[in-house]
Amino acid sequence: MSLSRGPHDDSSVEGELSRIWGELLDVDPDTIPADASFLRLGGDSVLAVRMSAMVRRRLAVELALSDVTVEITLAQLADAVRRRRTAGNGAHRALPVEIEHRADPSAPFPLMPLQQGYFVGQHDGWELSYESAHFYADFGLTGLDGDEAAEALEDALARLALHQPMLRARITPQGEQYVLAPDAPGAIPRPRVYDLRESTPQEVEAHLLAVRHEMRTTGPNPLHGPGLDVRLSLLPGDRGRLHTGESLLIMDGWSATLLNRELLTLAADWNAVLAPLDVDFGDYVTSLGRLRDSEPYAADRDWWHARLGDVPRPPALPLRADPRDVRASTMETLENHVAADRWAALRDQCASREVTPSAAMLTAFAVVLARWAGHRRMLLNSLQLNRLPLHPDIHRVIGAFATTMLIPVELAQGRTFADLAGEIQRTFTEHAAHNLVSGVEVSRELARRRETTRPVAPVVFQSTLGMDAAIGAQAESAGPLGDLNFDDFHHQLRTPQVALEARFYEMRDELVLVFSLVAELFHTEQVDAAFADLLALVETLADGPGWDRIVDLPAAAAPDPVPGLTLDRLPEHDADHGDGPPVDELEQRICTVWEEILGVPVLDRGAGFFALGGDSLLVVRTLARIAKEVGGAPSVREFLNAPTVAGVAAAVRARLADARP
Amino acid sequence: MTVIGVLGGAGTVGRVAVDRLAGYGLGELRIGGRDIDRVTAVCRATPGAAVPVRVDLRDPDELRAFCTGCRVVVNCAGPSYQVLDTVARAALAAGADYVDAGGDLTAVEALESAAPPELAERAAVFSAGVMPGLSGLLPRLLAAGPLARLDGYVGGAARISELSAVDVLLTRGPRFGTALAAWRDGRLAPGALAPLHDVTLPGFAGRVHAWPFLSAEFARLATELDVAEARNYTVYVTDAIPRALAEAWADDGPIERHVAAVVAAAEADLAATGPYYTLLFQAVPAAMPAPGQSKAPRRLILRTPDSYALSGVVAAIATREVLDGRVEPGARSAAECLDAAAVFARLSGDPLVTQAEIR
Ligand SMILES: NC(=O)c1ccc[n+]([C@@H]2O[C@H](COP(=O)([O-])OP(=O)(O)OC[C@H]3O[C@@H](n4cnc5c(N)ncnc54)[C@H](OP(=O)(O)O)[C@@H]3O)[C@@H](O)[C@H]2O)c1
Repeated sequence: MSLSRGPHDDSSVEGELSRIWGELLDVDPDTIPADASFLRLGGDSVLAVRMSAMVRRRLAVELALSDVTVEITLAQLADAVRRRRTAGNGAHRALPVEIEHRADPSAPFPLMPLQQGYFVGQHDGWELSYESAHFYADFGLTGLDGDEAAEALEDALARLALHQPMLRARITPQGEQYVLAPDAPGAIPRPRVYDLRESTPQEVEAHLLAVRHEMRTTGPNPLHGPGLDVRLSLLPGDRGRLHTGESLLIMDGWSATLLNRELLTLAADWNAVLAPLDVDFGDYVTSLGRLRDSEPYAADRDWWHARLGDVPRPPALPLRADPRDVRASTMETLENHVAADRWAALRDQCASREVTPSAAMLTAFAVVLARWAGHRRMLLNSLQLNRLPLHPDIHRVIGAFATTMLIPVELAQGRTFADLAGEIQRTFTEHAAHNLVSGVEVSRELARRRETTRPVAPVVFQSTLGMDAAIGAQAESAGPLGDLNFDDFHHQLRTPQVALEARFYEMRDELVLVFSLVAELFHTEQVDAAFADLLALVETLADGPGWDRIVDLPAAAAPDPVPGLTLDRLPEHDADHGDGPPVDELEQRICTVWEEILGVPVLDRGAGFFALGGDSLLVVRTLARIAKEVGGAPSVREFLNAPTVAGVAAAVRARLADARP
Repeated sequence: MTVIGVLGGAGTVGRVAVDRLAGYGLGELRIGGRDIDRVTAVCRATPGAAVPVRVDLRDPDELRAFCTGCRVVVNCAGPSYQVLDTVARAALAAGADYVDAGGDLTAVEALESAAPPELAERAAVFSAGVMPGLSGLLPRLLAAGPLARLDGYVGGAARISELSAVDVLLTRGPRFGTALAAWRDGRLAPGALAPLHDVTLPGFAGRVHAWPFLSAEFARLATELDVAEARNYTVYVTDAIPRALAEAWADDGPIERHVAAVVAAAEADLAATGPYYTLLFQAVPAAMPAPGQSKAPRRLILRTPDSYALSGVVAAIATREVLDGRVEPGARSAAECLDAAAVFARLSGDPLVTQAEIR
């Protein structure tokens, strides 16, 4: 028996882990104290996910999601690694699947739950939905080479589309996705270029307004073409603007940042080569599909389901219109910046209080909502850009990885902000440890149990604080495209089923706070007051004293019933079409279609589509079938308003009657 | 005086048959079984004239003596696969009509294979119970013409006696029915259906499990009623019974070994929901319905807290129909020789039926 130490003996664990931390946090591995938390050293939840992937690859140890929190120290992490090793892989809550390459990279694969939501939204499925769910942005370019820029951009986009398959993705009418081969017609997106180098300032302004308006209201639609729309306006004085429209059906917010980086890197240098990707989005989705059959997935689902009875309603924000009656074409944006030095001070405060900046911002948002709604207990939704650490390359892949997570929030009275933030961070971490089941799926179950088709969590929190660091630095210059100028950055996000979304992100060392909302729903002065409240609160946190002050909150935990419409109690459709066997041929045909799609007997006209096991994607498929068989079908939205056999039959009859001359 | 012999009249099914027959006031009852004390106790509890007789159906002389003098013999003893046509032949030989709460096509065929001459004048009605029995009879009420679809869902939570457990374990194989099969366009479509888990069905409580089982009875019905597609499911409130049955059938040994497990599984189901039993049938008329036939689907639901007791009611109703001269001579199953509307009307008035509706 040898006494020498093998490569996997205990002490090498600390060594390898500190090297991983060193790389991720950009610090000298030898200087990392064993008792300093990942958070204190500048880590965050995004980097923690990357850390898991690196541990998986380099130490061949599968960490459970709940093992890795931002508060973990190097010593604790080393313990966790040793525990996993002795327990054997997959013992507790490690990820039970290996990512595998699909044999056929052009084979169709299913939509992720959030993609399904966007897909259905594009079919006018939800109240608060738009023709396209997309992100629009444009920013300035200076010192641009007007003769070279167009060609450089086109070439860069083509090379990027070879590198990132999702830029060649299409969505089928049935709600599946696939990637076109590079040589398929139309596979490679091409930029559209406007040459206004000889135009007057008035013409330039009119042009920019028109392009912006068009791209804000009409996003690229991967059902019909590329999910990415890139345009370049060449302006007088070697200036330009780069416009991008990105369908949320093919890429998430993380991907959008990645796209900018990679596109500009390639544009800057004809010879630039991006590190090859060993895995693609389809591989990831397919692996997640296998995950659904696993024990850990079932455990997470049970965990969520056990809590659903207690889940609060969304904040009782007063409304001036029922979301069902609103037909908005854009979401309104309120935006403010916290200057770089104050943002740095805020980060320091967070680190010394042992909370992530994201947890602090979530707490601030919740406090503002509580004051606005008049109660302290509420359900929030959050957009999660974290990807499951199935592969170390996964964070460099463009795709619609994003998921959501529900966060029930209860702010206790008589506590300091630091206490509340600590509590929220714990809640968040606890819920995030059960993230194999997405918030979209949990919301679906919640709606089913409440027998509602109204949105259950339309107030959303999104933070990408720390994400940029994980993606890598943004080049300042893009060769023939010139230098990037984000001073006048225009952007807009349009997502279905969201009434109000607070976004927190970093932009050139500043903290940006955004409210994105369906303006038609809310009282303008209340929105303005809430946004001002949020800014003031964040400023006191940067200053410091805000942390130790008792937070002023309303007395009521649950909302008092008030007259007028509030976001927590939206009226249900009370149209009861009755039950019993189908009354005519049409109802029977609908029963038969539902049976085929849902795989269960559908015998009653009062049977609810969702109670029978249906989901929104299946609604789209069902409607396509009904349209084919009876020559007319209602919209998804009409379907959701009365999702029973009898209700849908009534909508079909109305449709057919309308169509008749 | 009309004498009605009830063999096995002290059993679960038999006791109810005795009670209803006494209530109908059709004649004197002669109640038979091996345990004279139990039979005597039943007679005492029965209003009207009832005479206890000790009889073991396996003893031909005792059986002959029991049948002699009866106008009709009602058999509620089992197990059916052993009884087959034994009691029927004795009854016919004694000049009596015959009604059996159990027995199935095998018994009918056994009797017909060497048909006694009395069968030309006497009726021998088998499967006068719930399933088989009502399961093959009631769907007829929904068919005014050819059907595109006929669905049957029968089951619930009920105690299974050891005797019936043996029957349940034995009613397996192509002569009884085919698991996972449907009936399509005039022939059996094997593997056409999958078991349903956690589904809701009209007339059933909460979420249930439904196992496709195209019984021989249902397949015959589909042919007779001109059904393009027939689906027949046995419904359980948990998957305990299907699991116990699957284990038993996977084992080569004698089936007696598994009786206890099946009985226990049924107990578990009962504990889960309390006793209830539902027969649900739904029929979709063919695209080209018969003249006067509505195109709207129709549904029949019959609910009872106790399917065994209800089998006794069915046996009693069948006996009444026979005595009223409403059943043709010959050997047939109850589903094929009783008048569905008359039986349904009588069931609707019975206290054991908690819901009987056609809509
Ligand atoms: N079609 C349907 O839906 C349906 C439903 C339920 C039951 N069934 C059938 O009905 C029959 C009775 O079932 P059950 O649950 O009522 O059974 P049970 O409670 O065990 O009753 C059987 C009765 O028959 C008597 N018996 C048994 N063997 C006998 C023999 N060799 N000679 C004379 N009498 C005998 C028993 O009394 P002793 O022990 O004193 O002899 C007992 O009174 C079974 O064949 C069953 O399959 C049909």
